[in-house]
Amino acid sequence: MAVTVLLIDDDREFLDILAERLTIRGMEVTSAASGRAALDLVRDARFNVIVLDLQMPEMDGLQVLERLVALDPAQRIILLTGHATVSRGVHAMKLGAADVLEKPVDIRELVERIKTVASAPRGVGANGQAGQPSGPLQKGRGQGLLQALRGLFKSGR
Amino acid sequence: MSSYHGKVDSLGLSFFGSMTASISHEIKNALAIINENAGLLGDLVALSEKGRPLDPERLQTISDSIRRRVQGADDIVRRLNRFAHSANQPVVTTGIRDILACTVALSERLATMKGVRLSIAAGEEIEVQTLPFVLENLLWICLKNIFLLAGEGQQVVLGAVREESDVVVTLHCTPEIPVEQLETTVATEGQPLIFFLRMQVRADPHNGRLCLHMPLRFIE
Repeated sequence: MAVTVLLIDDDREFLDILAERLTIRGMEVTSAASGRAALDLVRDARFNVIVLDLQMPEMDGLQVLERLVALDPAQRIILLTGHATVSRGVHAMKLGAADVLEKPVDIRELVERIKTVASAPRGVGANGQAGQPSGPLQKGRGQGLLQALRGLFKSGR
Repeated sequence: MSSYHGKVDSLGLSFFGSMTASISHEIKNALAIINENAGLLGDLVALSEKGRPLDPERLQTISDSIRRRVQGADDIVRRLNRFAHSANQPVVTTGIRDILACTVALSERLATMKGVRLSIAAGEEIEVQTLPFVLENLLWICLKNIFLLAGEGQQVVLGAVREESDVVVTLHCTPEIPVEQLETTVATEGQPLIFFLRMQVRADPHNGRLCLHMPLRFIE
Protein backbone atom coordinates (compact mmCIF):
# COMPACT_ATOMS: atom_id res chain seq x y z
CA MET A 1 0.00 0.00 0.00
CA ALA A 2 1.22 3.49 -0.84
CA VAL A 3 2.65 5.62 1.96
CA THR A 4 0.31 8.57 2.60
CA VAL A 5 2.06 11.91 3.04
CA LEU A 6 0.76 15.34 3.99
CA LEU A 7 3.04 18.13 2.75
CA ILE A 8 2.75 21.52 4.47
CA ASP A 9 4.53 24.56 3.03
CA ASP A 10 3.42 28.12 2.34
CA ASP A 11 5.24 28.20 -1.01
CA ARG A 12 2.64 26.77 -3.40
CA GLU A 13 5.18 26.14 -6.15
CA PHE A 14 7.51 24.20 -3.86
CA LEU A 15 4.53 22.24 -2.59
CA ASP A 16 3.30 21.30 -6.08
CA ILE A 17 6.68 20.19 -7.38
CA LEU A 18 7.59 18.17 -4.29
CA ALA A 19 4.13 16.56 -4.32
CA GLU A 20 4.63 15.57 -7.96
CA ARG A 21 8.09 14.13 -7.26
CA LEU A 22 6.90 12.09 -4.29
CA THR A 23 3.89 10.87 -6.31
CA ILE A 24 6.26 9.71 -9.08
CA ARG A 25 7.97 7.68 -6.33
CA GLY A 26 4.73 5.90 -5.47
CA MET A 27 3.52 7.98 -2.55
CA GLU A 28 -0.01 9.27 -2.06
CA VAL A 29 0.43 12.98 -1.41
CA THR A 30 -1.94 15.62 -0.05
CA SER A 31 -0.84 19.26 0.18
CA ALA A 32 -1.66 22.13 2.53
CA ALA A 33 -0.41 25.69 2.00
CA SER A 34 -0.80 26.76 5.64
CA GLY A 35 -0.77 25.36 9.14
CA ARG A 36 -4.49 26.05 9.51
CA ALA A 37 -5.37 24.19 6.30
CA ALA A 38 -3.23 21.26 7.49
CA LEU A 39 -4.94 21.10 10.88
CA ASP A 40 -8.32 21.03 9.12
CA LEU A 41 -7.12 18.14 6.96
CA VAL A 42 -5.77 16.00 9.81
CA ARG A 43 -9.07 16.24 11.66
CA ASP A 44 -10.71 14.30 8.80
CA ALA A 45 -7.91 12.13 7.47
CA ARG A 46 -4.91 10.16 8.70
CA PHE A 47 -1.49 10.27 7.10
CA ASN A 48 1.47 7.95 7.57
CA VAL A 49 3.87 10.90 7.59
CA ILE A 50 3.57 14.67 7.68
CA VAL A 51 6.35 16.78 6.10
CA LEU A 52 6.19 20.26 7.58
CA ASP A 53 8.00 23.49 6.70
CA LEU A 54 9.44 25.19 9.77
CA GLN A 55 9.14 28.81 8.58
CA MET A 56 5.62 29.80 7.64
CA PRO A 57 3.60 32.98 8.08
CA GLU A 58 0.71 33.20 10.54
CA MET A 59 1.38 29.93 12.38
CA ASP A 60 5.00 28.81 12.17
CA GLY A 61 6.14 25.20 11.87
CA LEU A 62 6.79 24.68 15.58
CA GLN A 63 3.29 25.93 16.47
CA VAL A 64 1.77 23.62 13.85
CA LEU A 65 3.92 20.76 15.13
CA GLU A 66 2.66 21.28 18.69
CA ARG A 67 -0.97 21.26 17.54
CA LEU A 68 -0.49 18.20 15.34
CA VAL A 69 1.09 16.28 18.21
CA ALA A 70 -1.72 17.43 20.53
CA LEU A 71 -4.27 16.04 18.07
CA ASP A 72 -2.39 12.75 17.63
CA PRO A 73 0.68 12.11 19.81
CA ALA A 74 1.68 9.19 17.56
CA GLN A 75 1.70 11.31 14.41
CA ARG A 76 5.00 10.99 12.51
CA ILE A 77 6.29 14.38 11.48
CA ILE A 78 9.40 15.40 9.53
CA LEU A 79 10.36 19.07 9.61
CA LEU A 80 11.91 20.84 6.65
CA THR A 81 13.88 23.98 7.36
CA GLY A 82 15.78 26.56 5.36
CA HIS A 83 18.43 26.71 8.07
CA ALA A 84 19.00 24.10 10.73
CA THR A 85 19.96 25.57 14.07
CA VAL A 86 20.86 23.48 17.08
CA SER A 87 18.27 25.03 19.38
CA ARG A 88 15.35 24.95 16.92
CA GLY A 89 16.21 21.41 15.78
CA VAL A 90 16.47 20.05 19.30
CA HIS A 91 13.30 21.92 20.29
CA ALA A 92 11.44 20.37 17.35
CA MET A 93 12.62 16.89 18.35
CA LYS A 94 11.52 17.50 21.94
CA LEU A 95 8.10 18.57 20.70
CA GLY A 96 7.78 15.22 18.94
CA ALA A 97 9.25 15.62 15.43
CA ALA A 98 10.67 12.38 14.07
CA ASP A 99 13.34 14.23 12.11
CA VAL A 100 14.52 17.57 10.79
CA LEU A 101 15.87 17.98 7.24
CA GLU A 102 17.49 21.03 5.72
CA LYS A 103 16.36 22.63 2.43
CA PRO A 104 17.30 22.17 -0.36
CA VAL A 105 16.67 18.51 0.39
CA ASP A 106 17.89 15.57 -1.66
CA ILE A 107 14.76 13.70 -2.81
CA ARG A 108 16.39 10.30 -2.19
CA GLU A 109 17.16 11.29 1.38
CA LEU A 110 13.65 12.63 1.92
CA VAL A 111 12.04 9.49 0.48
CA GLU A 112 14.29 7.30 2.63
CA ARG A 113 13.40 9.29 5.77
CA ILE A 114 9.68 9.18 4.95
CA LYS A 115 9.81 5.41 4.47
CA THR A 116 11.80 4.85 7.68
CA VAL A 117 9.46 7.05 9.69
CA ALA A 118 6.34 5.53 8.10
CA SER A 119 7.48 1.96 8.85
CA ALA A 120 8.01 2.62 12.57
CA PRO A 121 5.42 0.98 14.82
CA ARG A 122 3.23 3.30 16.85
CA GLY A 123 3.84 2.67 20.53
CA VAL A 124 5.99 4.03 23.32
CA GLY A 125 8.24 6.68 21.86
CA ALA A 126 11.77 7.92 22.18
CA ASN A 127 10.77 10.36 24.87
CA GLY A 128 8.95 7.64 26.78
CA GLN A 129 5.48 8.98 26.06
CA ALA A 130 2.77 6.53 25.09
CA GLY A 131 1.60 7.01 21.55
CA GLN A 132 4.95 8.28 20.30
CA PRO A 133 6.63 6.41 17.48
CA SER A 134 9.23 3.83 18.52
CA GLY A 135 11.27 0.87 17.21
CA PRO A 136 13.16 1.54 13.98
CA LEU A 137 12.14 5.15 14.16
CA GLN A 138 13.67 5.48 17.59
CA LYS A 139 16.93 4.01 16.29
CA GLY A 140 17.00 6.28 13.22
CA ARG A 141 15.31 9.23 14.88
CA GLY A 142 16.87 12.57 14.06
CA GLN A 143 19.29 11.25 11.41
CA GLY A 144 18.46 14.15 9.11
CA LEU A 145 18.94 16.63 11.93
CA LEU A 146 22.33 15.12 12.81
CA GLN A 147 23.40 15.40 9.19
CA ALA A 148 22.19 19.02 8.96
CA LEU A 149 23.97 19.89 12.20
CA ARG A 150 27.21 18.29 10.98
CA GLY A 151 27.06 20.63 7.98
CA LEU A 152 26.32 23.50 10.29
CA PHE A 153 29.35 22.84 12.48
CA LYS A 154 31.55 22.46 9.39
CA SER A 155 30.42 25.87 8.14
CA GLY A 156 31.01 27.34 11.60
CA ARG A 157 27.38 28.42 12.17
CA MET B 1 30.64 60.25 22.87
CA SER B 2 32.79 57.16 22.25
CA SER B 3 30.47 55.00 24.37
CA TYR B 4 27.64 56.15 22.09
CA HIS B 5 29.65 55.08 19.08
CA GLY B 6 30.13 51.71 20.76
CA LYS B 7 26.38 51.37 21.36
CA VAL B 8 25.58 52.46 17.79
CA ASP B 9 28.06 49.87 16.49
CA SER B 10 26.64 47.17 18.73
CA LEU B 11 23.06 47.87 17.60
CA GLY B 12 24.31 47.98 14.02
CA LEU B 13 25.95 44.57 14.33
CA SER B 14 22.76 43.07 15.71
CA PHE B 15 20.74 44.68 12.88
CA PHE B 16 23.22 43.44 10.29
CA GLY B 17 22.98 39.93 11.72
CA SER B 18 19.16 39.89 11.69
CA MET B 19 18.98 41.15 8.13
CA THR B 20 21.64 38.87 6.66
CA ALA B 21 20.09 35.86 8.41
CA SER B 22 16.71 36.74 6.90
CA ILE B 23 18.21 37.33 3.45
CA SER B 24 20.11 34.04 3.54
CA HIS B 25 16.81 32.34 4.34
CA GLU B 26 15.24 33.91 1.24
CA ILE B 27 18.17 32.67 -0.86
CA LYS B 28 17.78 29.17 0.61
CA ASN B 29 14.10 29.15 -0.33
CA ALA B 30 14.91 30.19 -3.90
CA LEU B 31 17.57 27.45 -4.09
CA ALA B 32 15.09 24.89 -2.74
CA ILE B 33 12.65 25.63 -5.59
CA ILE B 34 15.41 25.59 -8.21
CA ASN B 35 16.60 22.28 -6.75
CA GLU B 36 13.10 20.76 -6.94
CA ASN B 37 12.59 22.00 -10.50
CA ALA B 38 15.94 20.54 -11.58
CA GLY B 39 15.03 17.31 -9.82
CA LEU B 40 11.65 17.22 -11.55
CA LEU B 41 13.36 17.63 -14.94
CA GLY B 42 15.50 14.61 -14.08
CA ASP B 43 12.40 12.67 -13.03
CA LEU B 44 10.61 13.49 -16.30
CA VAL B 45 13.66 12.43 -18.35
CA ALA B 46 13.83 9.17 -16.38
CA LEU B 47 10.12 8.57 -17.04
CA SER B 48 10.56 9.31 -20.75
CA GLU B 49 13.24 6.62 -20.88
CA LYS B 50 10.57 4.25 -19.58
CA GLY B 51 8.19 5.25 -22.35
CA ARG B 52 6.26 8.23 -20.97
CA PRO B 53 6.41 11.00 -23.59
CA LEU B 54 7.95 14.33 -22.60
CA ASP B 55 5.41 17.16 -22.61
CA PRO B 56 7.08 20.29 -24.11
CA GLU B 57 4.61 22.58 -22.32
CA ARG B 58 5.51 21.02 -18.99
CA LEU B 59 9.21 21.48 -19.74
CA GLN B 60 8.58 25.12 -20.66
CA THR B 61 6.75 25.68 -17.34
CA ILE B 62 9.68 24.23 -15.40
CA SER B 63 12.18 26.29 -17.39
CA ASP B 64 10.13 29.47 -16.76
CA SER B 65 9.97 28.70 -13.05
CA ILE B 66 13.75 28.21 -12.82
CA ARG B 67 14.36 31.47 -14.72
CA ARG B 68 11.93 33.35 -12.45
CA ARG B 69 13.51 31.98 -9.28
CA VAL B 70 17.05 32.72 -10.49
CA GLN B 71 15.93 36.30 -11.22
CA GLY B 72 14.36 36.48 -7.74
CA ALA B 73 17.54 35.17 -6.11
CA ASP B 74 19.59 37.69 -8.11
CA ASP B 75 17.37 40.52 -6.80
CA ILE B 76 17.90 39.25 -3.25
CA VAL B 77 21.68 39.17 -3.71
CA ARG B 78 21.64 42.73 -5.14
CA ARG B 79 19.69 43.86 -2.08
CA LEU B 80 22.19 42.10 0.18
CA ASN B 81 25.08 43.76 -1.65
CA ARG B 82 23.55 47.23 -1.35
CA PHE B 83 22.83 46.62 2.33
CA ALA B 84 26.37 45.32 3.02
CA HIS B 85 27.90 48.42 1.41
CA SER B 86 25.60 50.74 3.36
CA ALA B 87 27.19 49.52 6.60
CA ASN B 88 30.43 51.35 5.90
CA GLN B 89 28.94 54.26 3.96
CA PRO B 90 29.77 57.74 5.25
CA VAL B 91 27.25 60.58 5.56
CA VAL B 92 25.49 60.89 2.18
CA THR B 93 22.76 63.00 0.63
CA THR B 94 20.02 60.68 -0.48
CA GLY B 95 16.27 60.45 -0.97
CA ILE B 96 14.37 59.53 2.19
CA ARG B 97 11.97 57.40 0.11
CA ASP B 98 14.95 55.36 -1.11
CA ILE B 99 15.82 54.59 2.51
CA LEU B 100 12.20 53.69 3.28
CA ALA B 101 12.08 51.42 0.22
CA CYS B 102 15.28 49.65 1.27
CA THR B 103 13.99 49.18 4.81
CA VAL B 104 10.71 47.73 3.53
CA ALA B 105 12.54 45.38 1.15
CA LEU B 106 14.84 44.18 3.95
CA SER B 107 12.00 43.67 6.43
CA GLU B 108 9.36 42.27 4.12
CA ARG B 109 9.97 38.57 4.76
CA LEU B 110 10.01 39.03 8.54
CA ALA B 111 6.84 41.15 8.28
CA THR B 112 5.09 38.47 6.23
CA MET B 113 6.04 35.84 8.83
CA LYS B 114 4.23 37.99 11.40
CA GLY B 115 1.20 38.53 9.14
CA VAL B 116 2.06 42.25 8.73
CA ARG B 117 1.87 44.10 5.40
CA LEU B 118 4.31 46.93 4.71
CA SER B 119 3.91 49.69 2.14
CA ILE B 120 5.14 53.20 1.37
CA ALA B 121 2.81 56.18 1.11
CA ALA B 122 2.83 58.16 -2.11
CA GLY B 123 4.65 61.48 -1.91
CA GLU B 124 7.47 63.56 -3.25
CA GLU B 125 11.08 62.56 -2.69
CA ILE B 126 12.87 64.57 0.01
CA GLU B 127 16.65 64.84 -0.02
CA VAL B 128 18.26 64.27 3.36
CA GLN B 129 21.84 64.17 4.56
CA THR B 130 22.23 61.12 6.78
CA LEU B 131 23.88 57.81 7.52
CA PRO B 132 21.52 55.41 5.69
CA PHE B 133 22.60 52.32 7.67
CA VAL B 134 21.97 53.97 11.05
CA LEU B 135 18.61 55.34 9.93
CA GLU B 136 17.58 51.95 8.52
CA ASN B 137 18.62 50.39 11.82
CA LEU B 138 16.32 52.76 13.72
CA LEU B 139 13.46 52.08 11.30
CA TRP B 140 14.02 48.35 11.80
CA ILE B 141 13.78 48.82 15.59
CA CYS B 142 10.43 50.59 15.02
CA LEU B 143 9.15 47.81 12.74
CA LYS B 144 10.39 45.00 14.99
CA ASN B 145 8.48 46.50 17.90
CA ILE B 146 5.38 47.05 15.77
CA PHE B 147 5.52 43.32 14.89
CA LEU B 148 5.48 42.52 18.61
CA LEU B 149 2.41 44.71 19.19
CA ALA B 150 0.62 43.88 15.96
CA GLY B 151 -2.01 41.30 15.33
CA GLU B 152 -2.53 39.34 12.15
CA GLY B 153 -3.58 41.56 9.26
CA GLN B 154 -1.72 44.61 10.56
CA GLN B 155 -0.79 47.16 7.92
CA VAL B 156 2.07 49.60 8.30
CA VAL B 157 2.43 52.49 5.88
CA LEU B 158 5.77 54.30 5.95
CA GLY B 159 5.85 57.89 4.73
CA ALA B 160 7.85 61.11 4.95
CA VAL B 161 6.89 64.78 4.96
CA ARG B 162 8.96 67.92 5.15
CA GLU B 163 8.43 70.26 8.09
CA GLU B 164 10.61 73.39 7.87
CA SER B 165 14.22 72.23 8.37
CA ASP B 166 13.13 68.74 9.41
CA VAL B 167 11.85 65.67 7.69
CA VAL B 168 9.26 63.64 9.56
CA VAL B 169 9.20 59.90 8.90
CA THR B 170 5.84 58.39 9.82
CA LEU B 171 4.83 54.82 10.52
CA HIS B 172 1.08 54.62 10.29
CA CYS B 173 -0.45 51.45 11.76
CA THR B 174 -3.86 50.04 10.85
CA PRO B 175 -5.61 48.76 12.90
CA GLU B 176 -4.32 51.08 15.60
CA ILE B 177 -1.73 49.83 18.07
CA PRO B 178 -0.70 51.53 21.33
CA VAL B 179 1.69 54.04 19.75
CA GLU B 180 2.62 55.61 23.12
CA GLN B 181 3.93 52.20 24.20
CA LEU B 182 5.73 51.90 20.87
CA GLU B 183 7.29 55.34 21.37
CA THR B 184 8.63 54.32 24.80
CA THR B 185 10.10 51.07 23.52
CA VAL B 186 11.69 52.63 20.44
CA ALA B 187 13.04 55.60 22.46
CA THR B 188 14.67 53.17 24.90
CA GLU B 189 15.97 50.53 22.51
CA GLY B 190 17.00 52.97 19.80
CA GLN B 191 18.29 55.71 22.11
CA PRO B 192 21.94 55.68 20.88
CA LEU B 193 20.77 55.84 17.25
CA ILE B 194 18.26 58.61 18.00
CA PHE B 195 20.99 60.62 19.72
CA PHE B 196 23.50 59.93 16.95
CA LEU B 197 21.09 61.11 14.23
CA ARG B 198 19.79 64.02 16.37
CA MET B 199 16.28 62.69 15.97
CA GLN B 200 13.14 62.83 18.09
CA VAL B 201 10.57 60.08 18.41
CA ARG B 202 6.97 61.12 19.07
CA ALA B 203 3.78 59.14 19.25
CA ASP B 204 0.79 60.60 17.43
CA PRO B 205 -2.08 58.56 18.95
CA HIS B 206 -4.69 60.82 17.34
CA ASN B 207 -3.57 59.60 13.90
CA GLY B 208 -2.39 56.14 15.01
CA ARG B 209 1.19 56.72 13.98
CA LEU B 210 4.73 57.03 15.22
CA CYS B 211 6.69 60.06 14.00
CA LEU B 212 10.47 60.29 13.71
CA HIS B 213 11.68 63.88 13.36
CA MET B 214 15.12 64.28 11.83
CA PRO B 215 17.07 67.29 10.57
CA LEU B 216 17.45 67.58 6.80
CA ARG B 217 21.18 68.00 7.27
CA PHE B 218 23.30 65.68 9.38
CA ILE B 219 24.75 67.38 12.45
CA GLU B 220 28.19 66.12 13.47
